[in-house]
Amino acid sequence: MRTVLVVDDEFGVAEVLESILTDAGYNVVSAINGRQGLARLSKARPDVVLLDFMMPLVNGPAMLRAMAADPAYRTIPVIMMSSLDEETVRRECDRFAAFLRKPFRASAVRDAVARVLDNNRGSDDVSDLS
Amino acid sequence: MSEQRHDDSELERVPTGVPGFDVILRGGLFAGGAYIVRGTPGTGKTILANQICFNHVHAGGRALYVTLLAEAHARMLQHIRRLRFFDPAAIPGSLYYVSAFRTLEEDGPRGLMDLLRREVQGHRATLLVLDGLLAIEEATASDQEFRKFVHELQAYAALEGCVVLLLTNGSRKEYHPEHTMVDGLVMLSDQPVGARSVRELEIRKFRGSGFLQGKHAFRITDDGIVIYPRLEALLARPSAEDACGEDRVTTGVPYLDDMLGGGLPCGTTTLVMGPSGGGKTTLGLHFVAEASAAEPALAFTFYETPNRLLMKARRVGLDLERRLRDRHLEIQWQPPTEQLLDELGNRLVESVRRGHIRRLFIDGIDGFRQAATDQRRITHFFAALSNEFRALGIHTCYTAEARSLIGPEIEAPTTGISVVAENMILLRFVELHSHLYRLLSIIKVRDSGFDSSLREFRITQRGIELANSFESAEAILSGFARLRPGHKQASAAPPPKRNRRRPG
Repeated sequence: MRTVLVVDDEFGVAEVLESILTDAGYNVVSAINGRQGLARLSKARPDVVLLDFMMPLVNGPAMLRAMAADPAYRTIPVIMMSSLDEETVRRECDRFAAFLRKPFRASAVRDAVARVLDNNRGSDDVSDLS
Repeated sequence: MSEQRHDDSELERVPTGVPGFDVILRGGLFAGGAYIVRGTPGTGKTILANQICFNHVHAGGRALYVTLLAEAHARMLQHIRRLRFFDPAAIPGSLYYVSAFRTLEEDGPRGLMDLLRREVQGHRATLLVLDGLLAIEEATASDQEFRKFVHELQAYAALEGCVVLLLTNGSRKEYHPEHTMVDGLVMLSDQPVGARSVRELEIRKFRGSGFLQGKHAFRITDDGIVIYPRLEALLARPSAEDACGEDRVTTGVPYLDDMLGGGLPCGTTTLVMGPSGGGKTTLGLHFVAEASAAEPALAFTFYETPNRLLMKARRVGLDLERRLRDRHLEIQWQPPTEQLLDELGNRLVESVRRGHIRRLFIDGIDGFRQAATDQRRITHFFAALSNEFRALGIHTCYTAEARSLIGPEIEAPTTGISVVAENMILLRFVELHSHLYRLLSIIKVRDSGFDSSLREFRITQRGIELANSFESAEAILSGFARLRPGHKQASAAPPPKRNRRRPG
């Protein structure tokens, strides 16, 4: 079973994502900010990370940079989520595989996760797949 | 200067940028102050706080918006995106949104406080919004723990010079100990008034400064929140000394000026009363047709659109178009639908000040009364307006509709303006030999004698023309006059000089 790490500070969003992805057959681990997300990487060994852009303590771009700096995690594809537009987000960071603009539909989440996992098979370069 | 002394020279103001709000606060919030914004759902707390955030970052500040158990950021941003103050370029660089409810859930108030401190420092925020204070109240084990949280946050904000806005829907309790601790309390409400609903803002507490007390109406517009300071509070004292001396100004109707003893006293308030169709608006058009570069005029109307007013003026030979072209005249129409009394009042005062108006014609004073949700305010409202206009040297002419078309009783239609009107002119219909005639009489003129006789007037292609006196007619004020035997019917002609009546 593929594992998805959901990192989002907003109450309700992470819970809903967990339900959607669990129903879709994924194992889901969640964290409430980037700091907790980084801490959960080693144990969860996710196949994909759904990462919120704006969060307290360690935000999305900071977690993404930390993952890119660590050989153990830099190949894990990341789907960035934000209520801001993609262009704004890419000004802060661009090493993510896909982008989801909030608020989104459940089908968009399922499709993005499936597409990113499919594209990532056998690839080490996970940037700019969106 | 004592180190203990705290006054405006020591406390830095942080303007909210919300129209009307800084006027009410006499300059804005204070840096390092913590303020509770309380209101039931839907009263506009989130819009107000977001608007202050965007204004703050546009002024060079940095803001952090932290939500607890509140609207999801994505939905909130979707909602405020349509408002003109929203600027996507401000996010995430100067304005940052985070949610802290899960931290509150997992780590309690202590964890939340740590998060707030780190985020304020990390983002170098000079404005912090904490949306959902109720969630903290519910997460704390006791009132004391909640008070300690608020106190610690307030102390931290003061240390950092960061303004803190604490948004809350309310509480399950009647007593709110946090109110005694914060620097200010802003209440938002949405009250049903008959079939309509009126939003109001009230400052209950504001440390460090005076403020405009009472309830101030506001609207949520495409520009965001616009607050209309309560006019009686705003103009409690006129902004200047009385600007006028003994000068007289023309009404635009020569014989009427004669009756008044040379025109209206400068800077006074005149009430023209009469029935519908009695000639009130036409008299007012004469008044504004005297607009000039030295005496710009404003026609503030409720019932007639600018086009209809111009047509009416054209029919009586008054060329208002030229005054408009020359920018000596401005016409503002206020549809008498769902207006707010203070919205009208503030708009009027702002227009008068902006246009350096000297001649002000307000056609349909009932428009103000209809906009008032509390009729007890009307007298004070008009007193404040009149005092300010007098101080600005403005000659004001109001029209008011009398209820009866023809009859013996004269009833002042609006108590408020009757009290402050310094000059009163009455227009009436009189039935005579199966014809209706128009009569004009002067009821009072400030500190001055005037011709108290009744005069017939006609509205012709040359405007208002006063005719001979109707002194000879019996029971003229009854509206059922009969000519005495031997008297001829009145005709439009220059009136004879009348006896002058001294003010009583």
